[in-house]
Amino acid sequence: MNAAIIQLTARQLLGQKRSLLMLAGALIPVLIAIVYRLSEATGNTIYIRETNQLISAQPRWVAQVLLSQLIVGTLLPLTAQIFGTAAIGSEIEDGTAVYLLSKPIPRWQIFASKLFVAWAATTGLVLSATIVSTAIALDQPFEYRILLGFSLAVAAASLLYSALFILLSILTSRALIVALLYVFIWEAVLTRLFRGLRFLSVRQYSLGVADSVIHAPRQVFEADLNGTVAIVLVLVASALLFMYGVRRLAAWEIGEST
Amino acid sequence: MPPRSEGAGSIYDLGYRRYDGLRLGRRHSVLSLYLYTVRWAFGLGRRTSSKIIPVAISIIAFIPALIQLGVAALANDVEIIKPENYYSYVQVSVALFCAAVSPELVARDQRTRTLSLYFSRALLRRDYALAKLAALTTALLFLTLLPQVVLFVGNMLSTKDTSAFLRENWGQVPRIVGSGLLIAGLMASLSVAIACQTSRRSYATVAVIAVFLVSTPLANIFVREAGGLGNFAILFSPFDLLGGTTYWVFDVTPGSDSIVSIADLPMLIYPIVTLSFIAIATAVVLRRYERIAA
Amino acid sequence: MTNVAVSTESGRVATESPPIEVRNVSRWYGNIVAVNDISFSLEAGVTGLLGPNGAGKSTLLHMLSGFLAPSSGTVNVLGQPAWKNPEMYARVGLVPERESVYPFLTGYEFVLLSARLHKLADPAAAAARAIRQVDLESAQGRATGGYSKGMKQRVKVAAAIVHEPSILLLDEPFNGADPRQRLQMMDMLREMAAHGTTIVFSSHILEEVERLAENVLVVVSGRLAASGDFRHIRRLMTDRPHTFTVRSSDDRRLAAALVGDPAIFGVELQDERLTVRTSDFAEFTLAIPRIAREANVTLLELLPTDESLESVFSYLVKR
Repeated sequence: MNAAIIQLTARQLLGQKRSLLMLAGALIPVLIAIVYRLSEATGNTIYIRETNQLISAQPRWVAQVLLSQLIVGTLLPLTAQIFGTAAIGSEIEDGTAVYLLSKPIPRWQIFASKLFVAWAATTGLVLSATIVSTAIALDQPFEYRILLGFSLAVAAASLLYSALFILLSILTSRALIVALLYVFIWEAVLTRLFRGLRFLSVRQYSLGVADSVIHAPRQVFEADLNGTVAIVLVLVASALLFMYGVRRLAAWEIGEST
Repeated sequence: MPPRSEGAGSIYDLGYRRYDGLRLGRRHSVLSLYLYTVRWAFGLGRRTSSKIIPVAISIIAFIPALIQLGVAALANDVEIIKPENYYSYVQVSVALFCAAVSPELVARDQRTRTLSLYFSRALLRRDYALAKLAALTTALLFLTLLPQVVLFVGNMLSTKDTSAFLRENWGQVPRIVGSGLLIAGLMASLSVAIACQTSRRSYATVAVIAVFLVSTPLANIFVREAGGLGNFAILFSPFDLLGGTTYWVFDVTPGSDSIVSIADLPMLIYPIVTLSFIAIATAVVLRRYERIAA
Repeated sequence: MTNVAVSTESGRVATESPPIEVRNVSRWYGNIVAVNDISFSLEAGVTGLLGPNGAGKSTLLHMLSGFLAPSSGTVNVLGQPAWKNPEMYARVGLVPERESVYPFLTGYEFVLLSARLHKLADPAAAAARAIRQVDLESAQGRATGGYSKGMKQRVKVAAAIVHEPSILLLDEPFNGADPRQRLQMMDMLREMAAHGTTIVFSSHILEEVERLAENVLVVVSGRLAASGDFRHIRRLMTDRPHTFTVRSSDDRRLAAALVGDPAIFGVELQDERLTVRTSDFAEFTLAIPRIAREANVTLLELLPTDESLESVFSYLVKR
């Protein structure tokens, strides 16, 4: 990893209007959590047949609606897309990528530096939103280890999404659309229809990672992928995406100037 | 041209001259821009790679129709996908199409600074804006109307008595057209209103998709958790707003677990709000192009 | 005239492979051949890559800079293939054509970034020196987003020379430079070449190449139409007559005498001077003093009129 590139990318990603908009986006879950807190729904209970107990419905709402759907399902991929495609996509589009590539720096260092900044920015933003909104919505934030589980899930998904979107930016100039298609058609629709596809979905991996830590009844939260499998898949997928991304970067050709 | 030298030779004046022929005027200009934009939306007249995404998304929009026809062929009278809930199956695809295509139509001209070329022609600024809106709406009709037509015709052809089918379901046709137009109109005008604010295509894409895809869970949460006034939040989710509108057009009561029935607002409110939003979005676009520097 | 030996002249013994060596290189995109079987090798000195737009100059430069793979043939820089060879950038500097730099960085920061990425021992000093060399000291504290086109060009050059490369590649470097900046940059490049740097720049503007390049590679429609010193190329074009302008004490008498000589095939009398066309340059230079003396005419002035690069170029392009 290269300090100069990290600094440069940080300045690129975190400047200007973009950060303000992203911050606004991160406030949405917080807002939702506040609405939830103020509503009567916080008092609801659910019945767990296995233990014959009535427990608060809060963890279920938080785990399934706030964290799985809103944050991991929507806010996280969108944020990762913006930072991921900006990390190298805008450089390629503007023509400044040449300045980084025409230096005697190993390609893996360039990729790793970009990845690190995109990952850090995405995780920082989304994790803060996760922690704040969960703390607001739950009476007992540390119950069932929901916060811990989803924090890990966010970090892992952020890494995978960032690597994937950076790779896409190297491969095509339409990376953003392809990324949107992946998240909102492949992950949202197809993997629900065809269960076998859950092995190829970043969202399912991350929910599985959360599940490995969370010890909650299945009515509260249950992931489609087993926890251990998910962790292995995260590591394997990260390694594969990284290696392939570095290869493509090494063979990057200047396109026709627009 | 009169010869400039004496004797047998001539030298011809081949220099610059004005165009003296027929000029087709503003209407033709607007029509041309409209047609050109519709073609551009699907990547026609451009290289192959720019056709892939619009065409792929369009194909995805047809899939529910094909599934329904397939199912009906195997087991008659089973109708899982009906005209009134068709939209709920394709709403994400339509939103993605808008997010992919609307920046190409409006943000790109701003980036390449060709606006000044357009505005120095016979067409007025508002003509440009309206032509772009009409073009995207037309393009979306391919996704909102055409699959429904395929479904209708397919159903008709699969019954034993096609003329009876036609007589019974004749009333559906204006409803299908009406809902298709409303859906295309709202999605197009919202997308253009958002996308024309910036010259960077990637920002426009993300903004459009964020508005469509983040508003829905947000509104749902407000409706479910905060009753009363919170029910009106459903009007701010384009997907659900159009869902309610479609139910109104087809005069169908929504299922009890759908967000529309939970919100429990009078059905007439949906089409009215839809039309209002279309008008507001159009006004935003017009204002943007009246004021943009070019 | 130059004081550095030019590559394509024979008689130079290479003890190691030349800094730039291109052999039978072609590049195609589907059906379109952008570069068609080009071979050349370059040593220290300034080489101009000249050709009309779309001739393949940029494609060739991209291949030299390692950002485009040749479809066939080899492109060797400092003895190694240029493609997928990031280590070579330690001794190669590149000034790309695209105007954009990082708009939020100041000029100094941009050059400093380049120095740091080259892992120089004292990046700050190297950056300061490079900026001084391109005469950008007064503007180095301003963000490059606000630079004029010429200033952006200069800051790109500074970033490219900060590590004192032995090879410098410039793609249309004089675009947007005003005459003074252009002269300064040309002086700088000439000085670098004198110190042993191999410089290649592309241009479609004849005067620039004529003034700066000792060695010219003329690329037309993807092919190498000619290479070497353009004056020498001119003389090799024997199927085109050379034109001279002569002023003498008695033009008409000289004209009459010249027409009789077999080396001459055209003489034109104009006010104050004589235009002579000859197919054989060497023969003519020997013949004219003799003819003048025999005709009792004093020669006052003798100038070759079409040895400009323009005439060479237009000839090659039309061929």
